[in-house]
Amino acid sequence: MFTQFFGNYLLNQRLVSPEQLTEALELQKTTRLKLGVLAINAGYMTAEQVEEVHNAQQRMDKRIGDIAVEMGFLTKDQVEELLSSQKSGHLLMGQALVDRGYMTTAQFEQAMRSYKAENSITDADFTDVQNDKACAAIRKFYGLDALRNSKTYTDYISLFFKNIIRFIGDDFTPLDPEQITSYSCMNAAVQKINGPISFVTAIEADDNAYIDFAARYAGEPLNCIDEMTNASVGEFLNLQNGLFTVNISNDSGMELQLEPQENSVGAELNDLAEAFRIPLAFPFGTVNVIIAGV
Amino acid sequence: MILSEIRVLICDDSILVRKKMTDLMTKLGCKEIYTATDGENAVEQYKTNLPDITFMDIVMPKKTGVEALKEILAVNPKAKVVVASSVGTQGNLKEAIEAGAYDFLQKPISDSDVEKILNRI
Repeated sequence: MFTQFFGNYLLNQRLVSPEQLTEALELQKTTRLKLGVLAINAGYMTAEQVEEVHNAQQRMDKRIGDIAVEMGFLTKDQVEELLSSQKSGHLLMGQALVDRGYMTTAQFEQAMRSYKAENSITDADFTDVQNDKACAAIRKFYGLDALRNSKTYTDYISLFFKNIIRFIGDDFTPLDPEQITSYSCMNAAVQKINGPISFVTAIEADDNAYIDFAARYAGEPLNCIDEMTNASVGEFLNLQNGLFTVNISNDSGMELQLEPQENSVGAELNDLAEAFRIPLAFPFGTVNVIIAGV
Repeated sequence: MILSEIRVLICDDSILVRKKMTDLMTKLGCKEIYTATDGENAVEQYKTNLPDITFMDIVMPKKTGVEALKEILAVNPKAKVVVASSVGTQGNLKEAIEAGAYDFLQKPISDSDVEKILNRI
């Protein structure tokens, strides 16, 4: 989860623009991680040392790893370890930004260091969506602590992120949320959850983002808003809400009921309480998740 | 039964689920594949085609999957109806099993779970 929040951190620090971030999200699929970024992330080398090695490489026909070892910055074991380490999304995003010249290696190093320190996280925490640190980050980011049903909202959002990563992709950045009391939807799938705690949930986007989101879930190309596109977004929402009610039932014995999901254009959601618009920026556009108490 | 002899009925109001399930059954080589878009249609399709196995969504228009399941069992008490739902709570599971479901699948339906069920009948 910290992988996705890292993009938002870069935005809020004004290190990158929204356009640059979107471009990096698109590029990270084809980006090849280089040893320098890996070494900085692991804390084995500084950005300055990486620059030094890159400069040296221009004068000699050797691999970066070998040069770093010769210069005494890395051991052979460290090079091996770095090359076989997990290629997390935040590193791919950083590499894409550095490759495009939107950030310097030194800015990346500084951002990584501050981000890890501020959130007290290690590399292992980056990809975990539902551990305590990730849930704490979600509560903080979305300002959920003050809510009556803080835990329920946190569980819902962390499960949502998990399902997005599993079924849609990990190439998204959560943008700053907005508290709302009403909302005019463009294209939307809407589903109510009823019981001791009741919610209205929705996935909403403009035409292009809605179609691309649906296509990713369906696993096939879609190019207009038709029954299949609506069914895909609706089915994803239904799946999320289904798994959520199963978790609630298992954790607390509370039985919640799902109403059938509905698709609409121009739906008006009114009289919302404890309601959030949670925007997620994908390479293909922004998709909003709406969660509202009723 | 061998897969190439199995006749399947898929009941789901979602065109996406019907397509995914139909694609899977075709890939597995099932003999006949029928589909229904609501609970009422599911019962009609069952009576007309008498499939070897039926996959049934719970939340559907006109008639729920559980209501359709009960009507199908009234026609053929040995009918094999697998209930599939995104809400696999103890309550729903209990309701489906008590109504006589052959099995219960939590959505998203995994191909391997469907294959296991088909290999069992």
